[in-house]
Amino acid sequence: MIRAAALALALALAPGAARGHEVLHELAPGHAAGLRVYYADGEPLAYQAYELWSPSDPRVPWQKGRTDRAGWIAFVPDVPGAWRVKVVDAGGHGLDAMVQVPAAQGGPPAGPGAGFVLRPLLGVAVIAAIFAALFAWQRRKGARS
Amino acid sequence: MHVPDGFLSPAITLPAYAVAAPLWALAARRHLGRDAADALPVVGALTALAFVVQTIAIPVPGGTSTHLVGVTLLAILYGPLLAFLCESLVLLLQALFFGAGGVTVLAVNALAMGLLGPLAGWAVHRLLRRRAGRAAAFLGAWVSMQVAAGAVALVLGLQHRVAPEYFPVPFAVSATALLAPSLAVTGLVEGLYTVLALALLRRADLRGLA
Repeated sequence: MIRAAALALALALAPGAARGHEVLHELAPGHAAGLRVYYADGEPLAYQAYELWSPSDPRVPWQKGRTDRAGWIAFVPDVPGAWRVKVVDAGGHGLDAMVQVPAAQGGPPAGPGAGFVLRPLLGVAVIAAIFAALFAWQRRKGARS
Repeated sequence: MHVPDGFLSPAITLPAYAVAAPLWALAARRHLGRDAADALPVVGALTALAFVVQTIAIPVPGGTSTHLVGVTLLAILYGPLLAFLCESLVLLLQALFFGAGGVTVLAVNALAMGLLGPLAGWAVHRLLRRRAGRAAAFLGAWVSMQVAAGAVALVLGLQHRVAPEYFPVPFAVSATALLAPSLAVTGLVEGLYTVLALALLRRADLRGLA
């Protein structure tokens, strides 16, 4: 009974196994597309709200946010093609345009890699080493006294 | 449940270290002393297991995930102070090598997940174990998860109140985000894990098992 329940628990957790709960990050140069929005006189649309739609799903925005101080929007495209961008400033100005993302830039994100399997193993190894050292130290102390 | 570096100000992290440091010293003296050699292999194995279960993400609705803590088991077997020490070691390794939690917030995370939660779980287990052993372990582990999640939510809420630039999310939102998965999912799985592990350990009758 206990073994069966243990097996059921292990199976239930298996899909999530070896995935850390921590939030990770990676810098991937060359993956992001940068889009700058500015007025005709060169003044950037700074801190203005924007929405961006991927050609893979024109209904739900791929990204929402605000332009940065220099009027830049940066995004990492999942597919190449025509992306729609809409920027609206508080005064009613803005932009609703299609931008072409070249094939070299669009692509699915890389997977987590082998690190997600190795990380728990590394943690277990470090903990085992710490407790083995403690155990050996206690035994040595016990043998002396 | 791990609070990362940068989410809490020194006004919270430093007092937490002041509380945790003497407790770490007391726990090490009490549980890693002369008579601890027999228990160390089991304690080490359970600490490693706690590390592993904390890396297993349980998906919950809302695009997020949760995880077990796994040290209520240690609290039930050896007392809440040893659970605190072992969870602190797990959190330190996670902070140093795996980017989970952080060094500045280590004491806060350790007090919430390693002490308050397991202490509550240990107390519940102690209170109910004579009436129903397995139910006591299950309920203890469930309560432990709620107390740990509640403690983290309270700390984040306090941070939002004293300096929202560190943590901009209001208490009501963060408390719901922490407690909803804990009440509905993690507490139940932690309870199941604790009952099963206890049963297997008792059946194995290992040397050094409390």
